Amino acid sequence: MIDKKVLENEIKEIISDVSGYNLEEIKPNTNLINELEIDSIKAIEITVAIEKKYKISVRDEDVPKIVTLTDAVELVYGMLNQKGN
Amino acid sequence: MKMSSNEYDAVIIGAGIGGLVCGCYLAKAGMKVLIAEQHNKPGGYCTSFKRGNFTFDAAPHCFGSYREGGMLRKIFSDIGIDKKLNVIRANPSDIIITPNYKINIWNNMEETIEDFSQHFPDYRDKIKQLFYLLVDTNPSSFSNFRNITFRDLLNYYLKNEILKEIIALPLLAIIGLPSSKISAFVGAKLYSEFLFDGGYYPAGGMQVLPDTLAMTFIKFGGELRLSCLVNKIIVKDNKVKGIILEKNEIIQSKYVISNCDARQTFLKLLGRKLITDDFYNKLISMIPSMSNFILYLGLDKNFQTSLKTGSAHYFFNHYSSEFAYKFVKKGDFKKYGGFAFRVSHDKSSIYAGMPAPFKNKIFWGNNKYHVMNAFIDRIEKYIMPDLSKHIIYKDAATPYTMYRYTLNYRGAAYGWLSVPSQLIIPEFKKPPFIKNLYMVGHWTTYGIGISGAAYVGYDTAKLISKNNDRQNNKNLII
Ligand SMILES: Cc1cc2nc3c(=O)[nH]c(=O)nc-3n(C[C@H](O)[C@H](O)[C@H](O)COP(=O)(O)OP(=O)(O)OC[C@H]3O[C@@H](n4cnc5c(N)ncnc54)[C@H](O)[C@@H]3O)c2cc1C
Repeated sequence: MIDKKVLENEIKEIISDVSGYNLEEIKPNTNLINELEIDSIKAIEITVAIEKKYKISVRDEDVPKIVTLTDAVELVYGMLNQKGN
Repeated sequence: MKMSSNEYDAVIIGAGIGGLVCGCYLAKAGMKVLIAEQHNKPGGYCTSFKRGNFTFDAAPHCFGSYREGGMLRKIFSDIGIDKKLNVIRANPSDIIITPNYKINIWNNMEETIEDFSQHFPDYRDKIKQLFYLLVDTNPSSFSNFRNITFRDLLNYYLKNEILKEIIALPLLAIIGLPSSKISAFVGAKLYSEFLFDGGYYPAGGMQVLPDTLAMTFIKFGGELRLSCLVNKIIVKDNKVKGIILEKNEIIQSKYVISNCDARQTFLKLLGRKLITDDFYNKLISMIPSMSNFILYLGLDKNFQTSLKTGSAHYFFNHYSSEFAYKFVKKGDFKKYGGFAFRVSHDKSSIYAGMPAPFKNKIFWGNNKYHVMNAFIDRIEKYIMPDLSKHIIYKDAATPYTMYRYTLNYRGAAYGWLSVPSQLIIPEFKKPPFIKNLYMVGHWTTYGIGISGAAYVGYDTAKLISKNNDRQNNKNLII
């Protein structure tokens, strides 16, 4: 099973790539939309990158639930666990 | 370090809106930037040309996303040109005309909702809900639209087939796709950024936009070379090193940003050997957007019309975008049954267009005049009797013309076709297999139209500046 901390760092990297913000600027509770200028296009870009990396498919209704890094980590963690079972 | 005059921080291939905006931001941030443009004027599709006393807009005839807080407004104010431009706005910006309806898209959303609701009173609440959803600024509610079509979205809110078609027709006229094919995300964006916030026009013609951007770029220290075709992107150890121009002139640069057609960028400027098999397969499976057939008419002083000048009109003699799409794809314009047109603000000229398949040079050489005259006949028949009496100048641009002036693959008007499967594919913006290579403009899968191309230019410049700062900081520490 993937370690949550590893997952957090990987997803942080994705968000950093997409937003252009440095890793240090992305805290677990940083609001992606207000603080990292994540607009609708980048929200999709992050979702697509996550789906590709973890070979999962995020349901449309789950996308709005991703407001912070922690939300993204929890979502992916949950899905990977389900997949593993 | 040796800094010869042909070494740059960044070179941009193409002075389309995407390249110019990107160049302005990078030059403003202090980078040494060159834009190399093959045409003899900047703008790409966004240009104007003169014939006698007439000035015609070649392709785009208005722009969107310019409300307070709109993306293009933000970009123009960032680079300090919002005050320099005299932007006028048509109200209504757009008018949909069908056999039984004439519906306006006003600058004011409530008035637009009222207009639609007068014709479809049973749907007042649903229309309102749908339209407000389309302009919702919350990114996450928009992200829901990524996998579905615009048709799915319409079905969710509306039952009336005619109403759904009326909402779909402007998108058909612009992009050339029926609602069942067009990505819901793109459809929603076109409504929010180009129709509900559309109809903007720079006094003097569309060429004023790229000209002003080019002047600003130069003022920030950028260098613009016109009539300057780029032949190759130089790559060493999977990292860009510069570009090669005609006569084998070599320009060195740390970053290369391509504003030109994606197939040209990857297959010609880079070459098959430098791109991965996966990406190559993806690239050749991608479908470009439809091209356009555009009519330019210069009119005499006696020309009168009851139609609103400056507004984009979408005329259709039916309510089936599905049916129309089937025919326009084959170049059967009569059965397509529609067209878009605009009488210029000063009533001196008409711009009219319809989506068109690429075909080839020979096809259009044989058919251009026939298609042009049949087009004029249809405009005359349906909305402007007596039009031909007032025409003093007429010409047309075919899809081949679109290609010839900009080198856009198959004269595609909006980069890749806006279907859900071709939306936001990161490799087309930042190919991961070549370091320091970026793409801007409507082939990136990230934005189309003037405001879309500008957005990608801005966003890419931001990423490059941050990346550059990071690398410079690293170098300082070492
Ligand atoms: C008929 C038509 C009507 C349209 N109407 C509208 C409208 O009303 N509103 C709107 O917002 N959008 C409209 N669009 C879409 C809009 O024009 C484009 O999406 C947008 O202008 C694309 O900008 P760009 O920067 O991506 O690329 P382009 O405008 O295609 O610019 C690319 C540039 O790269 C240059 N180039 C290519 N290859 C090379 C090379 N090898 N070396 C050097 N230079 C090179 C080209 O000459 C060109 O200048 C319309 C398009 C068409 C065709």
